[in-house]
Amino acid sequence: MAIQAWRIKDRYYRLIGSRCQECRTEFFPPVYTCRHCGSEIIKDQEMPKEGKIMTYTRLHEPLPGFEAQAPFYLAVVMLDNGARVLTQVVDSPDESVKTGARVRATVRRAKVDGDSGQIIYGYKFIVMAIYNL
Amino acid sequence: MPKSKVYITSVGFTKIDDHWEKSLLDLAVEAARGAMKGTPKVRPQQIFVGNMFSAVGAGQEHLGALLASALGLVGVPALKVESASSSGGSAFNVAYSLVKSGALDSALVVGVEKMRDLETEEVSQAVAMAESAEYTQFVGASFAALNGLLARYYMEQLDVSRDELSSIPVIDHANAVNAEHAQFRRAITPDAVSRSSMVADPLRLFDCAPIGDGAAAVLLVSDRAASGAKKKMAEVLGGRIATNEFSVYQREDMLDFNATREAFKGAMAQAGLSTRRLGFAEVHDAFSVVGALSLEAMGFSKRGRGSKDAKEGKYNMGSEFPINTFGGLKARGNPIGATGVYQIAEAFLQLTGQAGKNQVEDADYGITHNVGGVDTTSVVHVFGRAT
Repeated sequence: MAIQAWRIKDRYYRLIGSRCQECRTEFFPPVYTCRHCGSEIIKDQEMPKEGKIMTYTRLHEPLPGFEAQAPFYLAVVMLDNGARVLTQVVDSPDESVKTGARVRATVRRAKVDGDSGQIIYGYKFIVMAIYNL
Repeated sequence: MPKSKVYITSVGFTKIDDHWEKSLLDLAVEAARGAMKGTPKVRPQQIFVGNMFSAVGAGQEHLGALLASALGLVGVPALKVESASSSGGSAFNVAYSLVKSGALDSALVVGVEKMRDLETEEVSQAVAMAESAEYTQFVGASFAALNGLLARYYMEQLDVSRDELSSIPVIDHANAVNAEHAQFRRAITPDAVSRSSMVADPLRLFDCAPIGDGAAAVLLVSDRAASGAKKKMAEVLGGRIATNEFSVYQREDMLDFNATREAFKGAMAQAGLSTRRLGFAEVHDAFSVVGALSLEAMGFSKRGRGSKDAKEGKYNMGSEFPINTFGGLKARGNPIGATGVYQIAEAFLQLTGQAGKNQVEDADYGITHNVGGVDTTSVVHVFGRAT
């Protein structure tokens, strides 16, 4: 798990996704083949860090490694370039997490691998209105 | 090789339950023997095992040879087929395609999953393997969470109410009361669904199929082999697997179950049937919202109407087109890799008049619909009475 996360750390820390070099559509997570035009000419592209919530859920029964965080919000966020990110929404009061809310990416502790394993960091989003952003 | 007609001559299955006393292999052997004893003259030429996570659930892989050996069928080719919770339907599709092509005269398909040796959280982790390890599991999104996201989107975009969403679980539970192999044999009310504990808001416990152990098996034969079998048979008229964009949240329209639609269209075209000829459907409702969107994708309900039609009684037993006649995933149960084979065994019981109190009268044709991921892989088969 630790190596799997290390290999794609730029994607987790900086939201490095993909940009199709032919039709210019951008994606996160990265793609091998453009979902829009089918091109295989794809380059890494840093994503914009803001977007809005398309839909969300509050998860009460977490996966192993996420117990300490539960219950927590997950959302599908449409970034301002049209790419969609599945992400946690954190540090935002319940009433602020709603469809259409503007959110911004931050880096947070993502997963703790047991008592003595590695701590993996990654993107989570916050509701911008709460922070007057 | 000549194309053959394909028949199911017999089926076997365990009750879906917490089988503390039985191992993965115990369950698979019990179901397989049930199917084989029903057609003693036919020795399967190949075995296909549908299973998703035996490596995690039982520390066991190489299920094909393991089962062949246990059944005294050493030498028979035997493979595991995996496509998440559609593993059972996919295993059947591979077997069906080979018998239809003439490459095989008989095949045994066994779906099996051992879930209860794991803690509930570990089951969530195992099921989450159907989605991206790097971008879905990584953010802590369980399979229920993905369906929760989808359910909210469905309710908000298409104006579906909590009680409407509850209607498919209610149908499932009503139909399971008389189904001896079902995991939960009691009726529930819409209120019970909306009062059950929250899993992934807005989805509650009774929106979600349960955890359980089980195995189901069916024996497939070509028309050449069938002539010696002389039994009540069901004919397999068509079958198709289709895939969708891998992650539901990346799809242009999250509410369009494109894989289900394509699999259904393909299978029905092979069968040469129009929808109105169908007498029942076994629909993969791992979550209430998935059942609703699947009914819409196959055209039984209009967009946004799946749950509403269910609430109005369109899919009840006794209606013109009942679904999930033995309880569906919610009440019969959902032992992941076995589920698709249970559905097929149930279609066989319906079309051979062996469904007991759950018998759908005058049904000449029916379908099974099995899904891996959130409509990521969908498998549809069409069955008819053997003539």
